[in-house]
Amino acid sequence: MSEPTKELADDIFRRRVLRARTTPPGQKLMDGFKLYERACGLMRDGIRHQFPNADADEVEAILRKRLKRLRQIEEHGIYHDLSEEQTP
Amino acid sequence: MTPDEATNQVIDALERLKIPYMLVGSFSTMIYGLSRSTKDADIVLQLEGMSIRKITAELPSEFVLDPQIKFESATGTTRYVVEVPSIPFTIEFFRLSADPHDNERFRRRSAVSSEQLGRTVVVPTLEDVVLTKLRWSVATERPKDVEDITNVIAVQGDDAFDWDYIHHWCAQHGTRERLDEIRASIPPIDD
Repeated sequence: MSEPTKELADDIFRRRVLRARTTPPGQKLMDGFKLYERACGLMRDGIRHQFPNADADEVEAILRKRLKRLRQIEEHGIYHDLSEEQTP
Repeated sequence: MTPDEATNQVIDALERLKIPYMLVGSFSTMIYGLSRSTKDADIVLQLEGMSIRKITAELPSEFVLDPQIKFESATGTTRYVVEVPSIPFTIEFFRLSADPHDNERFRRRSAVSSEQLGRTVVVPTLEDVVLTKLRWSVATERPKDVEDITNVIAVQGDDAFDWDYIHHWCAQHGTRERLDEIRASIPPIDD
């Protein structure tokens, strides 16, 4: 398979933008929720593949742990701990 | 419970308590730009002297306040995280800071009516979404901020923006160069 060209990438982006221009804002929010639920579903599939003996609660616990790790990476260096007494 | 139900319950609680708020982060970028996966709802609150616990007390017991409070140094904002353990979704509350642009975007916030959500949600203006994302982009170099700004400008089109307002705050924040780079990278889009 050949590498995607800038022209192809721009064309895909253009189509997404044109579709978004005709989509109601609330629908875009609902789509965002669905995309996240789908992403979590795929992560659960991956966890079940790696840990075939895990029950549903264990799968959820591993999912939450992985999401927490991703959040920590994303927020590294941005947020700093503050005790409740220091709250402005 | 689903993420949209959790978000709706939080907004209901804020409205019952008459706490001025606005939805920021991925919510506001989706309103003006493209849909993207969202793992949390970010909400700026004008709490005055009110404790965050008054809000969590108004929520169902499934909502759990993380005792660890965080401080974000780019805009001097305090963040509180509320988890909904039954679903991998979080609500993040940000106290309105003393930062001049944070206050101005809160003052300019506007209500967007949504049939899909069955309610009105309050969000920053599109100019303020771009300005805040620019600050985050320059301060943190997170690729998703550049992507969000690109999407909002592309979907809205150049004519939708008050560029004088944006340029004024970019000069204050030192983000003009990043803005110009992003605008130059957007391919022409014809309806």
